Amino acid sequence: MITILSDHTRQEVGERLDAKLRERKIDTDLISLADLNVDPCYSCGGCTDKTYGQCIHRDDADIILPKLMRTDVLVMVTPVKWGSYSFKTKRVFDKCAIIGDRHYYCKKGELVKGKIGRVHTFVAIGVKDQWKNDEKDAFKNLVAENIKIMNIKGSVHLVDDSNISACLESVTEDLSQ
Amino acid sequence: MKKAVILNLSPRKTGTSMMLANRCREFLSTRDYLVEILHLYPNLKDLSPLLTAINEAESIIMVGPSYIDTYPADTFYLLEELEKNRDILHGQDLYGIIQGGMPYVHTHESGLKMLELFAGENELSYKGGFVIGMGAMLNGQPLDKLLNGKKAASGFEQFLKNVAKQESSPPSLYYQAQLKIPGLAYWFMATLMNRKIDKDRREKGIGDQAKSPYDNLEIN
Repeated sequence: MITILSDHTRQEVGERLDAKLRERKIDTDLISLADLNVDPCYSCGGCTDKTYGQCIHRDDADIILPKLMRTDVLVMVTPVKWGSYSFKTKRVFDKCAIIGDRHYYCKKGELVKGKIGRVHTFVAIGVKDQWKNDEKDAFKNLVAENIKIMNIKGSVHLVDDSNISACLESVTEDLSQ
Repeated sequence: MKKAVILNLSPRKTGTSMMLANRCREFLSTRDYLVEILHLYPNLKDLSPLLTAINEAESIIMVGPSYIDTYPADTFYLLEELEKNRDILHGQDLYGIIQGGMPYVHTHESGLKMLELFAGENELSYKGGFVIGMGAMLNGQPLDKLLNGKKAASGFEQFLKNVAKQESSPPSLYYQAQLKIPGLAYWFMATLMNRKIDKDRREKGIGDQAKSPYDNLEIN
């Protein structure tokens, strides 16, 4: 199962990727963040002290997190600003720590954490009208750190109007394998 | 007297971010600064107290935790709101402090980069920041309790001196201060922390093979 967590982009990147994967008969689940509201992680410790592994606040993370628990590949489609995920995407990502493996591992001489649910591959697609080089580097570094800390496989793709078709084709090809 | 505002970007008011914010306030108060600490989370519905303080300050210091390798989502919301109220941004100095659980500064440094890029587009003068690893383990205790406490405290002190002088603070300060131990020691640390995690789970009556509660929720 491939889950696409997609914040709104003018180019409808999430929707187009979903359609392309479905054309190839790949099992996908597109979660559009447009109509969902995830509250902040208040770092209250409730997911450790009260309801272990579950947020004590009720919001639309209750719709998203069960789906992420059951997926093998997580694709995040996000507008990028200041080299970072969008606000709505990051709200979800912040809460993903709840379903992450809490254990520590060592990889290449450094501590890392474990997977989110059973996700083994993380693909981040950053979307922007016009990329500056330092912002490209910042987003690539952020995603590289995310992949490293989750101790899984992954890739990052930078999309704008000039390369959208080629990028979607390339991601679809990679995910098909 | 110069004015500085310290913004606590953590949802907590008693953790490591606040310890660092308090240390920053103490230091700047002795250097002829009028310093105010404001919390982001209680003001999420109405940011006007933060906007007013930012407008009046010469220096802005943003202090927060690292959630999955950068500041929490709501920091991004704050920055977006600042951009919408761009008239209050008029060349103030911006410094960042980010602290996270992993001991490596590279894990958390993206947060500072975000502030730098934001400042570049919004009439602020980004002057650098400080990254502290193992902040979660510290849980609000002073920096000297860290394994690299002496180096971390001394590096942070130097950073604060730069803030007070409104000078740029280089990344080398926090790179020099980070914990440096062999890979085998990290393996040992992982083993100890995992034992504690498993012990806590057993004490809560949760077996090692227990499924996440989200695994049992219906999918809509």
